[in-house]
Amino acid sequence: MQASLFITCYNDTLFPETGRALVRLLERLGVEVEFRAGQTCCGQMHANTGFRREAFCQAKRLVRLYADAEAVVIPSSSCVAMIRDQYPGLFEELGDEALRKDFAALVPRVYELSEFLIDKLGVEDVGAYFPHRVTYHASCHGLRGLHLGERPFRLLRKVRGLELAPLANLERCCGFGGTFSVKNGEVSSAMLTVKLEDVLATKAEFCTALDNSCLMHLGGGMHRQYAGMKTIHMAQILASTEKEPPEVAG
Amino acid sequence: MSAAAEQTVLDRAELDPAKAPSFPVAALPVLRNVQLRKNVAHAIDVIQAKRARLVAEKTDWQALRAAAAAIKDHVLENLGAYLEQFEERCTAAGGTVHWAVDAADARKIILEILREEKADEVIKIKTMTSAEIQLNPFLEAAGVRTYETDLAEIILQLGEGEPSHIVVPALHVNRSQVREIFARRMGIENLSDEPKALTAAARNYLRQKFLLVPTAISGANFLIAETGGVVVVESEGNGRMCLTLPRTMITLAGIEKVLPRFQDLEVMLQLLARSATGERMNPYTSLWTGVTPGDGPQKFHVVLLDNGRSSILARKKERQTLRCIRCAACMNTCPVYRQTGGHAYGSVYPGPIGAILTPQLEQLRHAQSLPFASSLCGACYEVCPVKINIPEILIDLRAQVTDQERKTAGKFFDPMYVAMRAANLIFSRAWLFHAAQKMGRIGSRFLTRKDGWMHSLPSVGAKWTLTRDLRGLPRQTFHEWWAARERGAK
Amino acid sequence: MNAVASSREQVLGRIRAALRGGQNSAATAEQAAEAYVGLARDYTMRGELTVRACQERFVERLREYDAEVTECAPEELGSTIAALLTASGRRIFVAPPGLPAEWLAAGFEWKIDQDLPAKEIEKADGVVTACFCGVADSGTIVLHHSATEGRRVITLLPDWHLCIVRASQVVETLPEYFDRCQVSGIRGQVSGFMDHGSGIRDEVAGSLPSLVTWISGPSATADIEMTRIKGVHGPRFLNVVLVRDGEQGPGNRE
Repeated sequence: MQASLFITCYNDTLFPETGRALVRLLERLGVEVEFRAGQTCCGQMHANTGFRREAFCQAKRLVRLYADAEAVVIPSSSCVAMIRDQYPGLFEELGDEALRKDFAALVPRVYELSEFLIDKLGVEDVGAYFPHRVTYHASCHGLRGLHLGERPFRLLRKVRGLELAPLANLERCCGFGGTFSVKNGEVSSAMLTVKLEDVLATKAEFCTALDNSCLMHLGGGMHRQYAGMKTIHMAQILASTEKEPPEVAG
Repeated sequence: MSAAAEQTVLDRAELDPAKAPSFPVAALPVLRNVQLRKNVAHAIDVIQAKRARLVAEKTDWQALRAAAAAIKDHVLENLGAYLEQFEERCTAAGGTVHWAVDAADARKIILEILREEKADEVIKIKTMTSAEIQLNPFLEAAGVRTYETDLAEIILQLGEGEPSHIVVPALHVNRSQVREIFARRMGIENLSDEPKALTAAARNYLRQKFLLVPTAISGANFLIAETGGVVVVESEGNGRMCLTLPRTMITLAGIEKVLPRFQDLEVMLQLLARSATGERMNPYTSLWTGVTPGDGPQKFHVVLLDNGRSSILARKKERQTLRCIRCAACMNTCPVYRQTGGHAYGSVYPGPIGAILTPQLEQLRHAQSLPFASSLCGACYEVCPVKINIPEILIDLRAQVTDQERKTAGKFFDPMYVAMRAANLIFSRAWLFHAAQKMGRIGSRFLTRKDGWMHSLPSVGAKWTLTRDLRGLPRQTFHEWWAARERGAK
Repeated sequence: MNAVASSREQVLGRIRAALRGGQNSAATAEQAAEAYVGLARDYTMRGELTVRACQERFVERLREYDAEVTECAPEELGSTIAALLTASGRRIFVAPPGLPAEWLAAGFEWKIDQDLPAKEIEKADGVVTACFCGVADSGTIVLHHSATEGRRVITLLPDWHLCIVRASQVVETLPEYFDRCQVSGIRGQVSGFMDHGSGIRDEVAGSLPSLVTWISGPSATADIEMTRIKGVHGPRFLNVVLVRDGEQGPGNRE
């Protein structure tokens, strides 16, 4: 089984440890991982900020780059949602029939991380060990865009030593919203405060999610407030074992 | 002046999209208004919980949503034909149908009818459509007294405030504020702040108005093309008063309110009350058709309002905006609305539906900040009874606004626009991306503190570091790590 | 008049222009009617409760709204009404012109509504009417304002409304109520929807009700801090007598 990694522009730059963990995890599960050097961005930031012309360019590049990949694995629900929900409309507007066909052929082979593990590999227990109290934040794209449902919970419950603390108001948006976080910085901050009330009330040591974008926002707020809780992408929890504990940023 | 003696001053919000400040600016004073945020959160938590319980119990909820969306789409695809059918049937039943191109046209038509009737006062059933066309100030200036009869609208009218929600317009006002307004404006001594007492005060205040004022103005929840019938959905009974007792009735309705057949109400009525107030059915729903001799107003006028709706029909993606049945479930579930309430949207239509409807009614000449007033979480789409894909429309409107703005000289040098163009260039080639990452690493070094995080960023980034730190750029990107690993393996 | 005509033409013209080129834009009502019949309706048409359970749900839902519900056999109706009127402590009642004489209990002042002016109705303490239908799902009483139900004003101004509902008038779901409004009462067994041509439709449309009031509990508001308060305008007290008449109307099942 081969998987081609689309690491995403922000993970590559800001959270390489998530990528390293993902490689470790997949290889442990017997997956041959490849990484195409030409990758940059899926175009979501531009599309959601109104720069559609620019988003076209990035979407085209991505489809051409992965046209022949066996499976594309992405540790970011929002990028997968971009590909599934917005790419069809973009390609229809572009009117490039060949590209649209390539895209249609590619999209069934694109997986968010938890989808890849549970649906494609058929595993829930990935042999992970993470002896900490953890709460899971459901990012909106994963929740409503991809309908991930129980998948993240099924994976976390099989992690040895992990104590899962449920998050109240799980379905409420954390307030990141991409460029919303700066275009409407104050409102985003108000939403962050409300969300952190619930996160901190879990008394967990770690807040995890399948998206570093939300975690950047939650973690950035907790760090500013000296809150005593850290964030960690689920890939890093799942990759961690007794012999190889996770890299956790301060 | 002690707090008790202070007059309640409701927020003077600007709800004219042509004049309202942009959403990020309008939100600022609201975010600092602790009382308002508390009131809003309380109100929407109550409605949301009630709605959720009833939706869970309704096993055919999704089928109802699908049918409602299909019926509305069908109407919109045949809007001209259905409006003409409604006009014909309503006229045959004794009503008079008028058409209004825009707000000014509608106001003029309504005033003409009032002049013909020699009416110098009107009682009104709550209708956001009349607020949309700014009817009350226009009529008052023309010498016609307007009396709102819906409890929330009385609170706002007497308190000189503005609506902040389309179903519960005064949800941002609490009981002690209502008590003060009623005691002062209705001249009641020793009025308690118990909702029961306040409601009784409103009942007494309005009783004589209902019995004496011969002209009423309403909106419409639905127009039935097949029969020429008009439907008003309400809770308090003020609607029934206004549409039964007066001599002359004027109904103002957006052209998108029409349904094909009487039977289609079986879908809409099951969805509306559950979505709007978390009830299986609201207390009173009324349907009347033209004029019925001996029962109710003997003169009936319908004013069909366009005011930008026909322009929304033209765009395939946006047309679904007009499916809206004004239930407000979207704003009740919106995490942004929860923090800001309605006034920040600078429109009589706030929340998610306002964010897509208002800019479109204004044909993107105003309210351009509204499509960006969303984190795109999608909760609104999930609860919309007519399945309007609000996030999809928000994104499309963002593109339309950006296309419009990027042509202007001012925006060319706007930091956000510069950054977006630069980012696109960087993403267009892997080597450019990698070079930019290296530069970013070097450049951000002086912004990174000893703890390895950035606490203060310039320009666009300043809004991030308002309340969040950002971890410093790692020394090695993922792709550099991968490349090194490949080299090591060889 | 000219100005009105041109506004009409402008609006219709804009609509036509907006829809032009759309695949489904129908030019006429007939074409629209054809497309209409094809719309998918997978929601619940008929209820699944037994007749007895359906009536029990109706009563239960009415009581959730704080309506007072009394059940009786048909032969007890007159005395039940009399007892309820007595218990209410009220004296002056309005009645629609077609209300059965047996319901006009002795010992009270009855104002039969033959175009009573509003101020006369204001003097009454209550009103007694029949109804067209009851919907169990939502505890709704439907008035079509016939001679036994009265003009709309008489169930609006008095503070106390007693409504007589025959058990055979109670259906479970709202779609079943709309079934009852069709002149032939035919609703396709399978698809649940009429697929006649528009000619028959017009005939049916002529017999659909022109005045309807759906009442689900007494008037209420939640405008002040979301606290539900009963009785703003409209009757604050809703009383229902459910007559167990044992007739099976269409839409009822064993």
